[in-house]
Amino acid sequence: MGEVILTMKEIDKSFPGVHALDHVNLEVRKGEVHALMGENGAGKSTLMKVLTGIYSKDSGTITFEGKEVDFHSAKEAQDAGIVIVHQELNMLGHLTVAQNIFIGREFKKGLRIDDKKMNEEAKKLFDRMNIDIDPKETMSKLTVGKQQMCEIAKAISHDAKVIVFDEPSAALTETEIDELFKIIRDLREKDLGIVYISHRMDEIKVITDRVTVMRDGSYVGTLITKDSTKDDIINMMVGRVIYEDPKTESMVPEDAPVVLKVEHLKAGHMVNDVSFELHRGEILGFSGLMGAGRTETARAIFGADQIESGDIYVNGKKVTIKSPSDAVANGIGYLSEDRKRYGIVVDKTVAENTTMACMENFMNGIFIDKKKEREIAQKYVDDLATKTPSVDQLVVNLSGGNQQKVVIAKWLTRNSDILIFDEPTRGIDVGAKSEIYKLMNQLAADGKAIIMISSEMTEILRMSDRIVVMCEGKKTGEIGIAEATQENIMNMATREIE
Amino acid sequence: MKKRIVAVLLSGCMVASLLAGCGGKKDDAAAGSTAADSGSGDGYHFEVVVKSFQSTYWQAAIQGMDQAKDELGITYNATGPNAESDIADQVNMLNNAINANPDGIALAACDQSAVLDSLQTALDKKIPVVCFDTTVPDAPEGSVYSNVVTDNGGAGAIAGEKLYEAVKDQLGKGTVRVGEVNQDATAANITERGMGFINKFKELAEADSYKVAVIGNDYYVGKVENNAAEADADIIIEVAVPAQTTVDLCTTEASNIMNKDDTIAIFGSNQVSAEGVLAANANLNVLGDKILAAGFDAGTAQKAAVKDGTLLGSVTQSPLMMGKGAIETLAKICDGEDVEMDQPTDAAWYDADNMDDADIAPNLYD
Amino acid sequence: MADNTVKTTVKKESFINKMGGQKFIVLLVAIALFLVFCAASPGYRKTTTFITILDFSYYIILMGIGVTFPLITAGVDLSIGTGMVCYALVGGWLIRFHDCPTGIAMLVCVLFGMAIGVLNGFLVAIMELPPFLATLCTCMITRGIGSVIVGGFGIPWPTAGADNAWYRNIFKLTDGSTIIPIGLVWMIVIVVIMSFVLNHTKIGRYTIAIGSNKEATRLSGVNVRFYHILAYVICGFFAGAASISYAAVVPTVQPGTGAGFELEAIGGAIIGGVSMSGGVGSVAGTFAGVFVIVLLKTGLPFVGLTANWQQIITGLVLIGAVLIDIIKTKREQIK
Repeated sequence: MGEVILTMKEIDKSFPGVHALDHVNLEVRKGEVHALMGENGAGKSTLMKVLTGIYSKDSGTITFEGKEVDFHSAKEAQDAGIVIVHQELNMLGHLTVAQNIFIGREFKKGLRIDDKKMNEEAKKLFDRMNIDIDPKETMSKLTVGKQQMCEIAKAISHDAKVIVFDEPSAALTETEIDELFKIIRDLREKDLGIVYISHRMDEIKVITDRVTVMRDGSYVGTLITKDSTKDDIINMMVGRVIYEDPKTESMVPEDAPVVLKVEHLKAGHMVNDVSFELHRGEILGFSGLMGAGRTETARAIFGADQIESGDIYVNGKKVTIKSPSDAVANGIGYLSEDRKRYGIVVDKTVAENTTMACMENFMNGIFIDKKKEREIAQKYVDDLATKTPSVDQLVVNLSGGNQQKVVIAKWLTRNSDILIFDEPTRGIDVGAKSEIYKLMNQLAADGKAIIMISSEMTEILRMSDRIVVMCEGKKTGEIGIAEATQENIMNMATREIE
Repeated sequence: MKKRIVAVLLSGCMVASLLAGCGGKKDDAAAGSTAADSGSGDGYHFEVVVKSFQSTYWQAAIQGMDQAKDELGITYNATGPNAESDIADQVNMLNNAINANPDGIALAACDQSAVLDSLQTALDKKIPVVCFDTTVPDAPEGSVYSNVVTDNGGAGAIAGEKLYEAVKDQLGKGTVRVGEVNQDATAANITERGMGFINKFKELAEADSYKVAVIGNDYYVGKVENNAAEADADIIIEVAVPAQTTVDLCTTEASNIMNKDDTIAIFGSNQVSAEGVLAANANLNVLGDKILAAGFDAGTAQKAAVKDGTLLGSVTQSPLMMGKGAIETLAKICDGEDVEMDQPTDAAWYDADNMDDADIAPNLYD
Repeated sequence: MADNTVKTTVKKESFINKMGGQKFIVLLVAIALFLVFCAASPGYRKTTTFITILDFSYYIILMGIGVTFPLITAGVDLSIGTGMVCYALVGGWLIRFHDCPTGIAMLVCVLFGMAIGVLNGFLVAIMELPPFLATLCTCMITRGIGSVIVGGFGIPWPTAGADNAWYRNIFKLTDGSTIIPIGLVWMIVIVVIMSFVLNHTKIGRYTIAIGSNKEATRLSGVNVRFYHILAYVICGFFAGAASISYAAVVPTVQPGTGAGFELEAIGGAIIGGVSMSGGVGSVAGTFAGVFVIVLLKTGLPFVGLTANWQQIITGLVLIGAVLIDIIKTKREQIK
């Protein structure tokens, strides 16, 4: 660790009705990876937005390279050498990779933008980072992981002195995270200051040098990573011990009936001859790398994508699923990995979202029975411990974990017995994650059958009773939790087919 | 929050447009009543509501009213909406005119049913109303004292007669085609003109024992009596109506007809369709030579075309005479004289020879 | 075997894509329409008819090219139709009543168009009004301004043959009986230039970027407001240019008209592959799309269809044209 490059001191920021930042401190040194931790809503993003000039601070000072600075736009911060890799809003889907990386500072040849040079420069950049992406590819055609890499490449290309990573690993697979860490270590070698925001405790231990923890907009403290334990950090973040114990053996009784049986399912080239069984009370983990076809399998079972061939049996009876409404009628519920796009309607209330999948039960003639709707919504808010001031709250105002609970409530209202959780804890902070885990275990114990798609190995190993592994659209393995290890799952996930 | 801002802005826009509308009306009114102060103190005051100030046609009408004003020593105030389709605006203006308690009202109604309530009010307040340019057939009994309108059927017949005379020599040497472009098949004045042309042309041709077939737009074809079959006709009258009343579509319809080898004449039954015929000719260059054409109303383009012989001639209504007639009729009513219910003003044919005559030129607006 | 089928489909797609994707399909549709009409009607086959079609296509093409830019930013400009008539009225009024040289009047038309573009851009990019609402308001405003300035009366621009009618030669050279529709050449030149602007300059790049993800573009340090406004100014510029070509073919410019022209231009752009949700579109596609609209408008009367049938068929063909795109996109998604 070198000298201090960036100091934020006593930063204070209020929005109408919210004291978002309450005298927060942060110090970053050259050649250090500094973790910024805290639950969602703790103020991490706000602090970073103040740093990069997107928000203006009410009071406090920012010192960068020994001088006090006050940026008024992302561009000013960028020009000074502070760059943020955003978690969201990060790409222009219709432009190419190179065009994205150099947006706002295109190379020019006269009036003309020199796309050729931009492609070359992007290529060099990727070579330096050791990643293989075609600069001419349209951004929207890349996987989420690759898009994230482009975003990082863009940040690096700015000649940055300080790079802020806002949850960079949320959408990445294990391999991609390894690549990311290699890049980050490389940047650390080059004496850059790195701020790393993440919820993943494992990563913090692996990659960071120091940890600054925030809670409810206040500064809690800064620790040296290697001198502190996971629990130390978590305690600082939430003030309570969380996480259920990992499963070591299946909790499903031997004689539990098969509620869902999928045989030789084929849908597009991402789902190729997939067969598996799901038992009552079971949590079946689906593991694999990004693009292994797990989500596509789930979508096919749910009727969101067309099934080309193969059979699906629910409770032993063969069913035809051509659309989501067929799936819903057969008691299948799907919790999408992309909540905001597929899971909830953000500008509707908790109550409205809860009853959305089964409106017909809440109709009084042609009118919606608001009272009944609110009653059932309140029941699930209580059961699931959803944190919301009332069922009339707009879902957009809830945190990620609580939004996820609303989606769960939606399917429970529908009496779905088979629930497919696609990346259930993506973008959810530690405290809420634990609650979701508890809830899933509870649901399984109550006799629901759960398919859990997850890219987090620890999550798979912690939650599953049995694990199905996929690779390139095919099922490459199946293993009970007792035998499962990180190594043998990864082995199956990268298995060469034939 | 954002929605509210939008709502505020939107209502702001509406208020602004209302204000703008009001301002416009005042300006129009001022334009109409210039020099009215010079009228004698015991002269009558009339309110005039025209269809719009959108075409020079109404300028000519105002000119006629000014003539009557000077001759009779009355005053008047003219208003009208921005477009002929602004029916509600016009009703408002009419109501305002009634509330001003004038000695009489001259009205050119945009919509024949929308003004009925207002006419009832005028009747109740015993304000005499004279309709000009357009009649109101269902007006409350006794509210409208007189109609000063163009005889549209007669106007169309004039064009039919003139064109027939001009092409007479070419008839009898095989089937020929005569085109007619009508802006629409709904407005009474347009359909009357269109049918006036067709019937006159057909009558004259049949008198010379030619067989006439009318084809094209269903509405017009349906109104023709004793229509001959297209196959054995000597003269085919093809009636075209564009999908919308825009110049480009009139042009397309006109050039379709003008492109046919057997076409010898074409008639555009109002300013827009006559200009469509002219626009088509800009590239075809057949008018005045292979094809003879007649137009309707005036406007710079038509006047120029008549002058240089591109158009054989055109039919002018007399907005000037209608304006003048409306005011004169009102004055007579106020003087207690009896007036005729229907006072048709004749349309007139104009061509290169007579267009500068004193009784024609004032009607030929730009 | 399976490999083979995959390969052939890839090849086929790349052929169409190499030719410009939807642009190419639309161009084929336009050519097909033209051929059908030519086959069905002797009158349609004549060069004079073709020239008339061109005459009445320039202003829609120009408006279409202009409105492509706001459309790509995920906006729209509804004010171009009435705006165009308004600028033509003002220009004609200057020439007729103020002895203004034609060249100056034309410049005024274009500048007026750009001024309305600035207003639209200000309302959309700075005041953050929804583009539909903002430009609907300016649509009404321009319609009113036109009528107010000319006092409600129709205005003819100098007619062919008059001293100051040289502007007509911009679009059409007449030499005795031969007419050269030189306007088509200008249109192609403009399409090439604006394609370059859209694909190879900052203006185009940021227009696409804004339509793709405005916030991300802003965070990349791009002066989003400026380029967002600029998209509307470009649109206004072309509405101004369109007013000149409109005045050159219409005997009398009537106030109160023009509403509906914008839909022909926007419809053409969308047929040509511009996405209403922004980020996607091409100038060449718009050019081809506008031609589809213009050909339908002019061709149907020639094959003997009356007004009502013209509208029914136009609607059906437009649905078909848009469906091609949707089906194509869906196929890609399945892959």
